[in-house]
Amino acid sequence: MQTEKLLKCVLDLGEQMLICGAEISRVEDTIKRVTAAYGCPGTDVFVITSVIFLSLENEDGTCVTGNRRVTKYDTNLDKLHAYNDLSRKICRTLPDESDVEEEIAKIKAQKPYPLPVGCAIYALTAGAFAVFFGGGWRDAIAAAVIGAIIRIIVYFQSKTKVNMVFNNVVSSAVLTLLAFLTVKAFPGCEASKIIIGGIMLLMPGVALTNSIRDVISGDIVSGMLRFAEAMIIALAIAAGYILVSVVFGGGAI
Amino acid sequence: MTYAIQILAAFFGSMGFSLIYNTRRTKMLISALGGAIGWGVYLLVTNFISDSVPLAYFIAAMCITVYAEIFARIKKTPTTTFLVVGIIPMIPGSALYYTMNYAFQNDLQSFFDTGVYTLKAALSLAVGIIVVSTAVHLATAGIRMIKKRTNKSMTEE
Repeated sequence: MQTEKLLKCVLDLGEQMLICGAEISRVEDTIKRVTAAYGCPGTDVFVITSVIFLSLENEDGTCVTGNRRVTKYDTNLDKLHAYNDLSRKICRTLPDESDVEEEIAKIKAQKPYPLPVGCAIYALTAGAFAVFFGGGWRDAIAAAVIGAIIRIIVYFQSKTKVNMVFNNVVSSAVLTLLAFLTVKAFPGCEASKIIIGGIMLLMPGVALTNSIRDVISGDIVSGMLRFAEAMIIALAIAAGYILVSVVFGGGAI
Repeated sequence: MTYAIQILAAFFGSMGFSLIYNTRRTKMLISALGGAIGWGVYLLVTNFISDSVPLAYFIAAMCITVYAEIFARIKKTPTTTFLVVGIIPMIPGSALYYTMNYAFQNDLQSFFDTGVYTLKAALSLAVGIIVVSTAVHLATAGIRMIKKRTNKSMTEE
C-alpha cells in the first residue's frame, strides 16, 4: 500500500479505537503492528487521549506525517472489540486501503442501543445500586425512575455539545432535586440511597480505570489527563448536589 | 441474607454498566459476573480475614484483574471490557456522596475522615490493579522471550 494511504488508514483506525475507550498503549501498539505488517521501514507514533501524531518512513528515506485530533469520546466496548479484531485481520491478510476503509465504516455504522432501551438500562443500573448501597425496594423503584430520566437528560446533552463539567453539574442537580421531591411525596423513601444509586451512573468509571492502566504502561501524560478528568467530573457531581441541597434542603455552608 | 442481596445487586448493577458501555451477549454476562465475584471476595475478606477495608479492596481488585485478564485471553477481547465493569461496584460512589454531604453540612471532621477513606479505597483499588497487570506484563514478556529462544535454537539445529 502507498505510504500516504496507509497513514490515513491507520490514523482512522487509531482514532476510532481511542473514541471507543482503548488504552493509549493499545492504540500505539496497534498502529505499530499494522504499519510493520505492511512493511513500512520506520514508524514513529505518539498518542495522548486527545491527539494522535504519526510519522511513516518511505522506502527512499522520505517521511510522511499526519495527526488526528480527538474531541469526543463515546465508550463502546463492543466496537472496540471489533476494531481490535479488524487490526489483527489486517495484519494477517494485508487488504487494500479501500477494503480497510470499508471495514472501519461498517463498524462505525453499528448503532448503540436505542433510547428506550437505554432508559431501561439506566433504570436497572440505578435501581440495582440503590439496593446495593443498602436501600429498600421503594428506594430502588425511585432510583430506577430517576435513572431513566437521567438517560434522557444525557441524550439531550450529547446533542447540544456543551462542556462536560456543566453537563455533570446539571445531571447531578436534577437527580438530587428529583430525589428530594420523591421523599417529600413518599415519606418511606430515603433520599441518600436514591441519590447514591443515581450518582453511580455519572461516576467516571472508564476514565479512572484507564488512567491507572495508562500509568502502568508508562503513558504518564495520558494517565494524568484521564485522572484529572475523573476528578473534575467528581467535583462537578458534588457541585450539582450541593447547589440543590443549599437551595432546597436548607443546610449550612 | 443481606450479603446475598448485595451480591445479586452487584451483579445487576454491573450488568447495567456493561450494557451502558455497549457490551453484548456472553461478554456482557462475563463482565456482570465479574462485578458479583469482586464484591463476593470483598465480603469474604471483611468477614473472615481482616477488618481493614483498604485490604479488602486491594484483594478484590486483584481477583477482578486476574479474572479480567483470563477472560480477555479466552474471548480475545481487550482486558478493559471486563475490568472496567468488574471494578464498578467498588468505585466509592457512596463514599463520595457522604464526603460531599459532610462538606455541605459543614461537618469538617467527618468530611475529612470520609474524604481520607474515599482516597484510601480508590488507592487500594489502583494498587490491586497495578500489581496484577504488572505481573501479567512480565509474564507475557517472559513467555515471548522463551519462545524466541526456542525458535532460534530450533532453526540453528
